[in-house]
Amino acid sequence: MHYQTESWGSYMATRSSYGDPLDRIERMASENAVVIFSISSCCMCHAIKRLFCGMGVNPTVYELDEDPRGGKDLEGALMRLMGTSNAVPVVFIGGKLIGTMDRVMASHINGTLVPLLKEAGALWL
Amino acid sequence: MAFISATCPDSSFFLEYKDENGLLRKSCMAASHRVVGDTGLSDSGPSSSTHHVPYATVLHGINAPSTSFLHQEGSTFDFGELEEAITRQVRNDEAQAPLFTGRPAATLEMFPSWPMRYHQTPRVGSSKSAGGESTDSGSQMNTTTLASKGDQTQLEPESPMSKIASSSNHHHQQHQALDQNHLQFQQQNQQLQKDMPISDTSRATTVATGATEASKGQSAPKSNHEKRKGAGSTSENKQLDAKTLRRLAQNREAARKSRLRKKAYVQQLESSRIKLTQLEQDLQRARAQGLLMGGCGGGFGNISSAAAIFDMEYARWLEDDHRHMSELRTGLQAHLSDNDLRIVVDGYISHYDEIFQLKGVAAKSDVFHLITGMWASQAERCFLWMGGFRPSDLIKMLTQQLDPITEQQVMGICSLQHSSQQAEEALTQGLDQLHQSLIDTIAGGPVVDGMQQMAVALGKLSNLEGFVRQADNLRQQTLHQLRRILTVRQAARCFLVIGEYYGRLRALSSLWASRPRESMMSDDNSCQTTTDLQMVQPSQNHFPSF
Repeated sequence: MHYQTESWGSYMATRSSYGDPLDRIERMASENAVVIFSISSCCMCHAIKRLFCGMGVNPTVYELDEDPRGGKDLEGALMRLMGTSNAVPVVFIGGKLIGTMDRVMASHINGTLVPLLKEAGALWL
Repeated sequence: MAFISATCPDSSFFLEYKDENGLLRKSCMAASHRVVGDTGLSDSGPSSSTHHVPYATVLHGINAPSTSFLHQEGSTFDFGELEEAITRQVRNDEAQAPLFTGRPAATLEMFPSWPMRYHQTPRVGSSKSAGGESTDSGSQMNTTTLASKGDQTQLEPESPMSKIASSSNHHHQQHQALDQNHLQFQQQNQQLQKDMPISDTSRATTVATGATEASKGQSAPKSNHEKRKGAGSTSENKQLDAKTLRRLAQNREAARKSRLRKKAYVQQLESSRIKLTQLEQDLQRARAQGLLMGGCGGGFGNISSAAAIFDMEYARWLEDDHRHMSELRTGLQAHLSDNDLRIVVDGYISHYDEIFQLKGVAAKSDVFHLITGMWASQAERCFLWMGGFRPSDLIKMLTQQLDPITEQQVMGICSLQHSSQQAEEALTQGLDQLHQSLIDTIAGGPVVDGMQQMAVALGKLSNLEGFVRQADNLRQQTLHQLRRILTVRQAARCFLVIGEYYGRLRALSSLWASRPRESMMSDDNSCQTTTDLQMVQPSQNHFPSF
C-alpha cells in the first residue's frame, strides 16, 4: 500500500480549493482502485490494511491524522457519510463506497469482495 | 390360662381371656370396645402369631416383644420383601420362637367347631373407629371406603398373611385353626388401626392397602360364601389358595405403586432443590445489579449487571437452541418438504442472529466478560477466539461431516474457509496492534502523565468492543454463507452437526467440572481417579439410597 502523505501538501497552498470534504473524498477515492481512509493509531484500520495486503491487494491509504489542515473535515464528512461514530476505516473500491470494516468483512465472506477487486483491477489472479 | 369366648348380640364377637397376670382381657371387633387395645398381641397364640409376625405394621407401635425381624423403619418398608418374609416365616413356623410369648397350639383347639360363617365383618365397625382415631389420611380414606360397604359378611380373611399361611400350611393345619387365625389377625389389625400412630406414609399405605384389600375381599367372598360353606376342607383350601394368590398379587401391585409414588416424590424433591439453587443464583445476580460495580474481579457477587443479564439471556438461548435442535432433528427424520425444512433452518439462523445481537449489546457494557468467555463452558472457552468460536475451525469441522456435496459446493466451502481464515488473521493482527499500543501506553510515559496516560489507555481499551463486534460479525456472516452454499437439507444437517458439536463441548465441560478432584491423592490412587471419572454420574447423585 502506499500512503498519500505528499498529496496533502499540494492542497495546503490553496485552502479555498479544499472544497467540500465530500467532493474531496470522492475525488480521492476515484484516483485509485482501492482507497482506504484511516487513522494511524486506529487498530481496526490496521486490521483492514492487513486484510487487503493479505489478499495481495495494494491499497491507497489516506491517514487523516496526518493531514494537518483537512483531516478533521474529512473525518467529519466520513462520519456523516457512514452514519457511525467511527469515521475510519472507510474503503472505496473502484471509486465506489464499500463501507467500513463490517461491510468489507461481510463482502469478503460472501464472496463478492474478490470479484469487485478484480473488476477494479486491484487483483489479477 | 383359659379362654372364654362369647358372641355379642350385635353380630360382632369378642374374646375374653385371662392373661398371665390373671387379668381378664377382651379382644373384640366391635367399634365400641375400646379394650381391644388392651389385648396385647403378645397374648395371642404362637400359631396365629406366626402368621402375624411379618406384619410389621401390625406390630409396630405395640408393645410387642422385640424381634429384629419385625422391627421396621417405615420409610424403607417394602411389601414385596414382606411377603417373602411371610412365606419364609410361615414355612418355618414350627421352629420359630415367634414374637409373642409362646402358647402352645392350644389356641388351635380353642374353637374346634367354630363355623366359618361366624367370621363377621367386625372390620367395618372397628374401621370406623380406626378412621376416627387414625391420624393418617390414607387410612382415613380407607375407612370411609370400608364403611361405605356397610356390614358385609366377610368370610375370607383379609390378611394376605393368613392366605399365605393357609396356602402353605394347609397340609398340616386344620381349617378351623385357620379360621381362628384369620379371626385373630383381623382383631389385631383393627387394634393397630385404632391404636397405632400411623405417621409413616408407607406404613399407612400398607395398612390402607391391607384394609383396601379387606374391603375388596369383602365383596368377593360374598359370592363365595355359600360355596365355601358347603364345600369340604380341601376345596376351601383351594379357594383360599386362589384368593391368597390374588390377594398377594394385589398387594404386590399396591407396593409397587407406592414405590413409584415415592420415586416420583423424590424426583420432585430433587428438581425443587435444583430450582432452589438456581433461584438463589438469580437472586444473587439481581442483588448485584442493584449494586454499583465497585470492585472488579473476584467473586460471583462482583459480576457486572450487564454480564449477569447476558449470562441469563445466554442460558435462555441455550434452551432455545435445544428446542431448535430437536426441531431440526425431527424435521430431517420426518423427511419434511423442502419448504417446511427451510422454515426450520431459517429459524435456526435467526436464532444465531439473536445471540450475536445480544453479544453486541453486552459488548457495549462489559466487553471483558465476553472476551474472557466466562459465559461459555470451559471446553468452549479453551477454543475461544475474540469472545466466541473461530469460524475457520467450524468450517474445518464441518467439511468432514458434510456429504454428499457437489463440486461447486466444495469450491464454495473451500473459498469460505479461505476467506474466513484471512479475515480472522486480519482481525488478530489488528488486536495484536491494540495490545501493543496498550502496553506502550500503560508502561511508558512519565508518572506525571498518570491521568492522561489512563485516559489514553481507556480510549484504547474501548476499541476492544469493536474487535469483538467484528469477530461476531464474521461468525454471523460465515453461518449465513453456509446457508447460501448448501441446499436446505444439507443446511439442516449442517446446523444439526454444529449444534451437536457445541452440545458435546458443553457436556464435556460439565463432566470435567464434576470430576472427582482427588489431586492430593498419591500415585497409587491415581488410577482410581480415572475409574472414578467414569462413575461421575453416581457421584453426583445426592440421594444414593434411592
